[in-house]
Amino acid sequence: MIEAIPHTLSSQGWWIISRSSAMVAFALVTASVFLGLTMAGKPLREPQFTKTMRALHEQTALAALVAIGIHVVAVLADPWLKPGVAGVAVPFVLSLNRFWNGIGVIAAYLAFLLGLSFYLRRYIGAKRWRIAHRATIVVYVLGLFHALGAGSDTGSLVFLVFAAVTAAPIAILFVYRLGASRRAGERRQRAVRERSRAAAHARLAESVYDTV
Amino acid sequence: MTTPRPRAVVIGSLSLFVVLFVVLTFELSASASTSAGKTQATRKARPASTETKTEAVEEPEEPASGYTETEPEPEYVEPEVEEVPPVVTSSS
Repeated sequence: MIEAIPHTLSSQGWWIISRSSAMVAFALVTASVFLGLTMAGKPLREPQFTKTMRALHEQTALAALVAIGIHVVAVLADPWLKPGVAGVAVPFVLSLNRFWNGIGVIAAYLAFLLGLSFYLRRYIGAKRWRIAHRATIVVYVLGLFHALGAGSDTGSLVFLVFAAVTAAPIAILFVYRLGASRRAGERRQRAVRERSRAAAHARLAESVYDTV
Repeated sequence: MTTPRPRAVVIGSLSLFVVLFVVLTFELSASASTSAGKTQATRKARPASTETKTEAVEEPEEPASGYTETEPEPEYVEPEVEEVPPVVTSSS
């Protein structure tokens, strides 16, 4: 077996790199999304805890982008696949597993756009950035489908267990977050209504006082 | 609780990458070294493309226009007629 390693590395080295980096990227995206959703739920209001979570969220997201970059380069360099620049840059161009690889390309673009938009908040605006950042879950979902549809290790038990174990809490957290943001919106509207009602009362009282 | 350093995430990711790389290399080498598993490893390593080229089935060529080979018409053979001797009837 040992004597077969050099041959394996020379013939399938890029493919092994692309598989390894893809699994690392998926694990990091999963961790980052999980941390982001947990933070949004505000489980603890301790500032130090929030600071730690935010740092981990950012670091895992950046590491995921690096892993995605390595995956793309390894796929591009694969001598068997020969996807060409268009195959890895334009969705649905690569003929092998066209649909699943196509959504993988879209997921990569979204990951870079949404991930790096954090550093452009000043130009985008905090509110607009927050709305866009909520779409990061799409990167995770597309990445999961890309892995299941086009991944070479889709059949491995380790991957399936990892995907199932992580997808369930992410789905629960996402639903919880949707509910939380709706409740926050309702609270905000109620506060605005009460404030305007109080202002109207004050104006009425003032006018009554003036007439008396 | 202290703020984690980026180094922890980088080292963790690199370690995972190296472990996966080593495991996959050994897995492929092991299956390639066994004679029976050689073909299986190749198949596993390189999944066949979903879009396989299919050779176009050659349709029979149509005969060139203007020329049609026809069967020769049978020659006209005059039917043989048996000569019947005239029947003589006597009238009394």
